[in-house]
Amino acid sequence: MKLSSGGGNETAAQGIWSGTISFSLVAIPVQLVKAVEPGRVSFRMLHGKDYSPLLRRMFCPREEKMVPPDEIIRGYEIGPDKYIVLTDEELESVSPERSRTIEIIEFIDMKDVDSIYYDHPYYLVPSKGGEKAYSLLAEVMRRANKAGLAKFVLGEREYLVAVKSMEGALSLITLHYSEEILPDEEIAPQDGKIESEEKSRMKKIIKEMTGDFTPEKYADERRKKIVKLLRKKLKEKATVEAPAVEEEEGGGPVDLIAVLEESMRKVKKSR
Amino acid sequence: MAGRAIWKGYIHLGSIAVPAKLHAAVKEERIQFHLLHSRDHVKLKQQMVCAYEKVPVPMEEQTRGFELEDGQYILVEPAELEQAEPEESRIIEVHEFVKTEQIDAVFFERAYYLEPDIPLKGYNALVGALREMDAEGICTWTMRKRSYIGALQSSGKILRLNALRYADEVISARSLELPNIPLSEKELKIGSDLINQLTAPFQPRKFENEHQKKLQGLIDKKARGEKIAILRPRRLKPTASDKLLQTLEASLKRVA
Amino acid sequence: MSRRVTEVAGKRLSLSNLEKDLYPSYGFTKAHILEYYRRISWFILPHLKDRALTLKRYPEGVEQEFFFEKRCPSHRPSWVTTTEIAQDNGELMTVCLVNDLNTLMWVANLASLELHVPLARADSPETPDSMVFDLDPGDQADILDCARVALILRDLLSPLRLASYAKTSGKKGLHVYVPLNRKEVTFEETKTFSKAVAEVMQRNYPDLVTAKMAKEHRKKKVFINWSQNDSSKTMICVYSLRAREKPFVSFPLAWSNLENLAGQRDPEKLQITHAEAASRAEAMGDLFREVLVKKQKLPYL
Repeated sequence: MKLSSGGGNETAAQGIWSGTISFSLVAIPVQLVKAVEPGRVSFRMLHGKDYSPLLRRMFCPREEKMVPPDEIIRGYEIGPDKYIVLTDEELESVSPERSRTIEIIEFIDMKDVDSIYYDHPYYLVPSKGGEKAYSLLAEVMRRANKAGLAKFVLGEREYLVAVKSMEGALSLITLHYSEEILPDEEIAPQDGKIESEEKSRMKKIIKEMTGDFTPEKYADERRKKIVKLLRKKLKEKATVEAPAVEEEEGGGPVDLIAVLEESMRKVKKSR
Repeated sequence: MAGRAIWKGYIHLGSIAVPAKLHAAVKEERIQFHLLHSRDHVKLKQQMVCAYEKVPVPMEEQTRGFELEDGQYILVEPAELEQAEPEESRIIEVHEFVKTEQIDAVFFERAYYLEPDIPLKGYNALVGALREMDAEGICTWTMRKRSYIGALQSSGKILRLNALRYADEVISARSLELPNIPLSEKELKIGSDLINQLTAPFQPRKFENEHQKKLQGLIDKKARGEKIAILRPRRLKPTASDKLLQTLEASLKRVA
Repeated sequence: MSRRVTEVAGKRLSLSNLEKDLYPSYGFTKAHILEYYRRISWFILPHLKDRALTLKRYPEGVEQEFFFEKRCPSHRPSWVTTTEIAQDNGELMTVCLVNDLNTLMWVANLASLELHVPLARADSPETPDSMVFDLDPGDQADILDCARVALILRDLLSPLRLASYAKTSGKKGLHVYVPLNRKEVTFEETKTFSKAVAEVMQRNYPDLVTAKMAKEHRKKKVFINWSQNDSSKTMICVYSLRAREKPFVSFPLAWSNLENLAGQRDPEKLQITHAEAASRAEAMGDLFREVLVKKQKLPYL
């Protein structure tokens, strides 16, 4: 029975968006797919009575029933219970030139991009007919260590994105707008004095502890514990039937409990 | 105003402890939408519905289960999940250092600013040391019941802590199974020239969230009862593989 | 839908649906709700001040669906005070602070009948101002059992130099607050302390009290919900209305009063309606004032 969590080896089959990426006159048909999969162990919500899985559905409180997707619309609240409805078409028409095209306006040096701008990563995969142009773009960007800067609209939001090459593929990173980066003047200490001996000591430590970036070394502790718990339950054949859980008692320091018990004795005596 | 800190901790580097407070570094501006019923514009609620009985199930009747491959579930009580929570600690433990830019953009999840806490000791030295060694510290910490891995960086006069994704959360490019297409030297040369011509310095301030403003304009227009023109999104014609070289040459001519 | 623009304390506010009956079986309209909150404002505002409000909106009245709203509605008037708080993932969220009468009226106009606030103020979200004992009666137990538990709790805490103050929840239970009002206090401390107290109470009064949340342990007993002592939890603010068939209020009760009422064995007497709440507060003042100002220390931690 497969118990692994985390999606490192899953292929993203589902495209999130499809369109064209272009630079100058070259247009490449692509699909946007996931580049990351949250590692959290995900649980399903089940019906306690019969363990059938639960699904998320939208429910109309006035008619008191489930609403099918074709009866669901998007609204923006402008006052108490007053909404302006926007259709998908209207949303797309806000920036029509950008909702199906990622137009690279310029190329930048990856070294110039401060990591604080990174928001969310995706991959672009070529659609039929675009494989050659895709490979070319990826390869020339890799050789030059450059990324393409573009704006594009996905759903309700417009993103500033960097398209770069990663292991032979094109990855797309959405970036924060500079107005979204909070100022850091108030963070810096008033006293800017640097203790130079302290700094030398630290530089020495840094030198001794420098290595290559190998993220595989680090594991999500909480996830490990949950997986361990699940394995244990599996071994005990505790599937479907939930074992009774005894909550641990004794949550206070020993002398606090003693004091409370003493106080309680007196209370009982006087009542 | 720096705003209040999200969390307080101590950066541990060998025997050195630098007290610091975590602040959000980014604030996203977003127009919030609600989902409504098309018939009566009533705001919809999300409900958990039983897949078989097709009726909503109240919270008290819900339970959590981990799904195994064969459709069986392992049930887990909230108390058991709580026990799996990592120990609360205030330590940001630095394990090693890497050269800056070694960490690919795909790993960056969320940025925080680190403000020095009292007493101010070691903070400025650490900022200077990281900058002069062109290094970032890989560290781990626990915050609000979750365990994190991150990169400690210096930026100007301050320290920043970037929460990173775990290695197994990143989908490898290899799994995309992209075809290996041979490219001619000429195509590569012209492609490179084109990119060089289109290269500019990275100036993020010149990009504004125009869409947000336009969206707000659209909402205001509708609120006033004005008609919205529906414009069709433009779809570009893809460049055929056998026309790639000439398209590249034509592009280069335009920008050179 | 009727809409009236009023001027409250020099600021313009648009009030809507004033005749809408939000408590249909009792007959209490939006106008009545606004009037109640206006009348009680002097008493309730200090307890709401600088606390991240969670609205509980009943746009169609107490018999219909409600929704919680932590994020301050973006269509708010410019004079509503807000602040940013960090969510669990570090993302900032804008919340409302009900720091004046206008904002209280605006929130009430949104049919946020119930006002829920955290135990800590927004500028120091990890520092609770009080420790709370949320007494919740299980099946076949009632508010009178809660009153018994509250009185024992008071007697248990007072030799430890901890004064406590009780209020009705406005529903079936009682809340006992222990003011602390000191900068060094953490939720970890209040949670540890209240859990220890709850367990000692359970051990000594096993037929009356339980410290365990699971339903099967709560039958005929009063559950002391110590886990409310958490930065992510909120409590109904004192003097807030409750969304029940009648507009009951979460109202403070003096200990002597609670002793009398417990003796009279009539659970209904412990439910205070809006009218009674307003007139009692006007006559006796804010019985919960000490919860905001009294400085106490948790011993033996």
